[in-house]
Amino acid sequence: MKYVKIALYCLLAVFIMARACPAQEQEKSNSQKRAERIMALEERFAAASQEGKTIKGVLIEGNSLFNGTVDIRTKPYGKPYTEAELKNALRSAERNSKVFLITKDGTLYYPTVKQGEADSESMGGYRFERMISYDQKDRKVLPWATLTPLVGREIEVLGIVYPGYGCVKGLYIEAVKFEGEYIRGQGK
Amino acid sequence: MATKKIISMKSIFYTVVSLVWIFGLSAIGHITMVLIEKNNPAIKYDFAWWCAIVGILALYSTRWMKSDGWQSFTGCLAGLSVWFAMEYSLMYGGHDMGVTYTWNGSYPEYRLMKWTYMLFIIVFLYLLYQESVRCNLIFYLRRKLRLMRGAIATGKIDNYGPRTFFEYVMVTWAFYVLLMIGYDENLFGMYSWYIYTLFFVSFSLFFYLTYKLLGYDRFGANLRYAIPTVTILWNDVEVLSKWGMLKEPWVHINWPIMSVIIGGFVISTYLIVKDLRTKKQGMIEVKDITMKDN
Repeated sequence: MKYVKIALYCLLAVFIMARACPAQEQEKSNSQKRAERIMALEERFAAASQEGKTIKGVLIEGNSLFNGTVDIRTKPYGKPYTEAELKNALRSAERNSKVFLITKDGTLYYPTVKQGEADSESMGGYRFERMISYDQKDRKVLPWATLTPLVGREIEVLGIVYPGYGCVKGLYIEAVKFEGEYIRGQGK
Repeated sequence: MATKKIISMKSIFYTVVSLVWIFGLSAIGHITMVLIEKNNPAIKYDFAWWCAIVGILALYSTRWMKSDGWQSFTGCLAGLSVWFAMEYSLMYGGHDMGVTYTWNGSYPEYRLMKWTYMLFIIVFLYLLYQESVRCNLIFYLRRKLRLMRGAIATGKIDNYGPRTFFEYVMVTWAFYVLLMIGYDENLFGMYSWYIYTLFFVSFSLFFYLTYKLLGYDRFGANLRYAIPTVTILWNDVEVLSKWGMLKEPWVHINWPIMSVIIGGFVISTYLIVKDLRTKKQGMIEVKDITMKDN
């Protein structure tokens, strides 16, 4: 019985070592790769922003927009909802109703995955890279964001625009930037 | 359940080491998941399967362990491993079904976990009536609610491994469900009376449980009772983070703080292993429940 126990421990040790060693090596290179990728993304974002190639718009919840429950045309840009409407819009968005981006000139964008990805998921489950300042980095602000908490707020997007359908354009989001906290009151 | 003893320097040492070890284990578990998500999310489901396999094998290995200390130690690690797999399975489910993040920041996997509350109630009801269960809380409920027809459970426990494993999983599950119900803005919300109550009850219970923990002076019992003690404190950590008053070092990858936690974990692991190896002939508790305790 003693040998069975020893054998079992050896087996466990082999399993753990086999998984842990390559993972550690890979983690380092992946970590470096990620840092490089983020740096390149930050540079591209800054350059695109300076050239006016990023898209600035307000995130709008789709159901209330398309069924006319909320008429954003009567609202000032950047303040599409009243407090009560915002509450409903946020709740609908977290229940997976679609979220759109509307710019100051009224162009409507449908956030989507990269062209060619036939098998995809709801955009509400995606984390997007968030462009944060050095000060925010020091304050350990989350380097990513999702769309739902940002409904009703203005964001700046680096991405690829697709022709879409009708008047609605497709938008593949590479990175987002926005003022204030990702989650209100949580310092994130 | 171990027999209660007088508080001594020895019991204080065992309590502190157990608390540090369980806290470190939870923190390291969290940062592992965060690092995988950040650096190599492609491996996360493979990692989950390996965690499940290693956890089940570790649990199986307790069959050959003679001391309740080793059984509890291994059972705890097995519980954490399988809980990893559980969280990743919900993550996969959330991804597969397109579950979104909530507007107050809750993750899809935890939104799914919230709706396991009825399953949790079913399991808890079973435990409540399962005569061989020796959990203090369940004993208390049995007595107060007059649930048992005969005498409460007594007798020898041969293997604490599976019990510790199950305790780790159940305690973690219970507190996640309680928190997620509270965070749901459609039910209570993160600034509701429910969350405030949970915060203050958890804070108070942590001290009460630590006081009770001081009555045990062996790593078997201490480790087992440190699980709910630390996990109940973890509620407060989670709530403070949700309120924006605390930046969890394992979520925001604060290496200076994490180094201290990892250091504490390594030292406590060394002390536990050293102690358990010294007491090779550690006995399994025979008199598990004494009526005078109740």
